[in-house]
Amino acid sequence: MKESRLMLVQYATAVAAVALVSVHLIMQGVIYPYATAISFNNILSVYRNGFYAIFLEALLVVVLVHGFNGVRIILNEFRQTKPWETWVDLGTVLAIVVTVAYGTRTVILAVFGGASG
Amino acid sequence: MKLVVQRFDPFVDAKPRMMEYAVPGRDGMTVLDALLYARDYLDHSMALRFSCRQASCGSCGMKINGRPRLACYTQVAELGGKKVVVQPMDNFAIIKDLVIDLESFFEKHRGVVPYLIRADSQEMEKPSAEYMMKPEELEKVLQFTYCIKCGLCTSSCPTVATDSKFPGPQALAQAYRYIADPRDEGGEKRIELLDDAHGVWRCHFAGSCSFVCPKGVDPALGIQLLKRHVMSGRPPRGGGEGAKVWAASVSAPPRK
Amino acid sequence: MSVGGEKAKNRRGIHGWLNPYHYNAERWAYFFQRVTGVAILLYVLGHLGDTSFFVGGPTGTGPSPSAWAFIGSIFENSFGHLILILVVLVLFFHGVNGVRLILAEFGVILGKPSAIEYPYKPKGLSYGQKVLIYVAIAIAVAAAVWAFLVLFEGLG
Repeated sequence: MKESRLMLVQYATAVAAVALVSVHLIMQGVIYPYATAISFNNILSVYRNGFYAIFLEALLVVVLVHGFNGVRIILNEFRQTKPWETWVDLGTVLAIVVTVAYGTRTVILAVFGGASG
Repeated sequence: MKLVVQRFDPFVDAKPRMMEYAVPGRDGMTVLDALLYARDYLDHSMALRFSCRQASCGSCGMKINGRPRLACYTQVAELGGKKVVVQPMDNFAIIKDLVIDLESFFEKHRGVVPYLIRADSQEMEKPSAEYMMKPEELEKVLQFTYCIKCGLCTSSCPTVATDSKFPGPQALAQAYRYIADPRDEGGEKRIELLDDAHGVWRCHFAGSCSFVCPKGVDPALGIQLLKRHVMSGRPPRGGGEGAKVWAASVSAPPRK
Repeated sequence: MSVGGEKAKNRRGIHGWLNPYHYNAERWAYFFQRVTGVAILLYVLGHLGDTSFFVGGPTGTGPSPSAWAFIGSIFENSFGHLILILVVLVLFFHGVNGVRLILAEFGVILGKPSAIEYPYKPKGLSYGQKVLIYVAIAIAVAAAVWAFLVLFEGLG
């Protein structure tokens, strides 16, 4: 992918992250008082209203793509050998896939999982 | 006035050392005056580069009290007048003492093909008339033509500190100077060269290049304006026809 | 190879990123943008881990009040809240400064090139975009104060 396209992704995820993180913080401290917002029952009900789960998934993807792409940029500036750049690029994709998968698992289990312990 | 100079001969010394010289101050003394006094009367072995003494040639770029400056253009009084610490500019290989190797700097400048490219190679080699330029078109590139290739901007850039493939603010500002020039038709090819993992996108607008530039070139502005065109893949107004004659007429070395 | 070969290369290295002293406000903003970005990513990775305890942690199968209470007992205390306030501080600086960078990198809030005269005031370091650095600091501090009020004073 051309670097200009990757930077467009970086800028787009930056703007999206500003919006989505703001909403997330408003949910945690303005819409609901903090203590209520982090209570088990409140979280269960907002996850299961459908829209918030999709919102959280979007937040997850946007923040992780932006963050790991940023780290890729920092690491590529640090050293410029071909093996380093190849491993950094692969590592970035792997890190995004693994962390998005783990976060998505949380969302899916919260929405669809049966209650446990 | 205490003048502290970094001395280092890579073929003799394992690491740099700082030498102090007591230099008698006088009104209007520049750092270059102080260095030449120290070299002429106190230590003939000191190596430094200078030429015009009037901020035109760009030869005397050095790190003075922690920041890249031209020695001829920096008054001792503006630094407090008591102690001046002079070191070679960062991010350039040291030849000896304050003399640095600018070959990589010039190579990166050559890498952006810093001359006008025209679609018609015959016409480019043997123009039949002047290339016309309106005053308002000139104003868009004029300040970037003031570059004296002193290297202060490249020395101050945080990306240049670690990324050896990054062209640096000087080369990027000159790339913009040619892309934005209405007489140039090689914009698309220059843009293509700059759109890679170590090209224009490794500038993060720290702005130190514009902060230290002694000629008001403002490379940071040029680079941010360049990014728009690299993002779109198009120079300001067409100007891509020159790409067809690029390979034939350009003998710039490929960027490593 | 010369005796002082490595030193002769004279690259600032990573100190070049981490040393904004003697330079302009935008350089300081670059330094903090990098540091806060890495800090936020580390927090986000930790946050992914701790929020997964809502569904019983890495080995869980669904919503688990006991696992959630367990992770709450570790993080829901004064020290945890102080960390959250710090995270809010760096997050808001990174976000607002990031918006400033996007606007600047598209040349929107910078001046236009012109026929310059001495003394040179670079338009790339224009007042407009510089002010946004201080706006980012102000918003970050205000957000951290708000976070303190929410977490310690029960606001909201």
